[in-house]
Amino acid sequence: MPFPGKNGNSSFQRLVLPLFVPALVLVFWQAMSELGYLRPSILPSPLAVAKTLAALVASGELPTHLGISLFRVLQGFGIGTTLGALLGLAMGLSPLFNRFLSLVTGLLRPIPTIAWIPALILWMGIDEGSKVTVIAVGAFWPVLLNVFQGVRGIDRKFLEVGKVLEKGPWTLLIRIILPSALPSLFTGLRVGLGFAWASVVGAELIAASSGIGYMIMYAREVSQPDVMMAGVFVIGLTGLLMDALILRLERRLLRWHKGWEREKG
Amino acid sequence: MKQSHDRLTLKGVGKSYPLATGPLRVLEGVDLEVEPGEFIALVGRSGSGKSTLLRLVGGLEEAGEGEIRLGERLIRGPGIERGMVFQEPRLFPWMTARQNVAFGLKEGTAGPQAGRTVEQYLQLVGLEAFGDLYPHQLSGGMQQRAAMARALVSHPQVLLLDEPFGALDALTRIQMQREILRIWGESKGTLILVTHDIDEAVFLGDRVAVLSDHPGTLREVIPIPLGRPRDRSSAEFGRIRTEIFNQFFGESQG
Repeated sequence: MPFPGKNGNSSFQRLVLPLFVPALVLVFWQAMSELGYLRPSILPSPLAVAKTLAALVASGELPTHLGISLFRVLQGFGIGTTLGALLGLAMGLSPLFNRFLSLVTGLLRPIPTIAWIPALILWMGIDEGSKVTVIAVGAFWPVLLNVFQGVRGIDRKFLEVGKVLEKGPWTLLIRIILPSALPSLFTGLRVGLGFAWASVVGAELIAASSGIGYMIMYAREVSQPDVMMAGVFVIGLTGLLMDALILRLERRLLRWHKGWEREKG
Repeated sequence: MKQSHDRLTLKGVGKSYPLATGPLRVLEGVDLEVEPGEFIALVGRSGSGKSTLLRLVGGLEEAGEGEIRLGERLIRGPGIERGMVFQEPRLFPWMTARQNVAFGLKEGTAGPQAGRTVEQYLQLVGLEAFGDLYPHQLSGGMQQRAAMARALVSHPQVLLLDEPFGALDALTRIQMQREILRIWGESKGTLILVTHDIDEAVFLGDRVAVLSDHPGTLREVIPIPLGRPRDRSSAEFGRIRTEIFNQFFGESQG
């Protein structure tokens, strides 16, 4: 590190610096509201939104909706990432299998997740099944692609070492291929979790009777812009926390990778 | 390494790669007999096919012509009785030094005895205090030692070294040359070292095999009649070095 202190690692830079822009926006927004430039029925002031947020938390309404949404994400994310990882692994290991599925994946992948929602509602109804499926689809693709690339991009030199030592295919898979694809898997998981979260909100906006997306939609119908804004803010905050959680997990599990990357320059 | 009883025999070994412009011959008619426990240094320019020859013995590539035998057995693929150390250490970055060395054990070996063997080889290469470190925490020389321990831990009859010190600095390199002699001395296996460094070849080998290029053929195999440890500044050492040097650049420039 040629410029110590300029690498963004001091606690000031890490914790305080990112708060500047949001603080500036909030102050500006509050000032605009106070000065009467913003109509409260369209965009309430940040303080009003904060009060509503506190009330929603206290009444238990927000935690309930949020809990329902998170539970859906948990299920859909679990299913989607499992399928994505297995299929990505198989496609990465076998060029033949990859060829076999290349047209299907190429065709389905560009379809935005929310485009599936109407069809899924038609097939599965508006209860949990369709929402969990939408989330699974959202998480599936990033994991599939990243695991596929991770397995495909494995350093052949490592496999050669395994061959010289006469290791069986199972050992090669468990001890060499999977660990070397792990960093890619985590990239997929991070992106996938973001997609999954976006998908659940999308699905709830379109058809649901519970969940954070539903809460926002309902607030619009009954003209409660403060509830709407509080919901939007909570979606962002939850996404941020989920990302931080997965990053933490990655750091713990892939300590070797960070150092390895640094050493390789 | 294990005390080796099997002679390594190369007979008429040739190899070519198919290219768009026609086959590229990299090796042609290589005959070589390596005695059990012998240390052969294989020198040649870059592109002389010396690494290819080593990979053929390692079974990582197939010879197009001729045959390679260890004892009576024809070599057809990689085998744990032929250990290999590459130019890059190729340690698995997700394993500690100890786990990397343990990976060199024969498939299915486990238990306290295996653990002791791993410790013994960590100690042999001087890494007993560094077993818990990951490769990125080790210096280049230490990484290559760990790679050597990984190749040795299963007691191969033959150890194949493909320019293993090529990426190291000059001082570490000299130190590693001494280490490899010590390790070879303790284990008494057969050893083949590929290098482009004539000095290194004369310092280490019982015999030095000189490979010419395009295609790689065995030009000469020169016995080194010097005891060990060898003195690089001795007249005899210099004479042999010059002799091999002239193989490449001709008498006039010697």
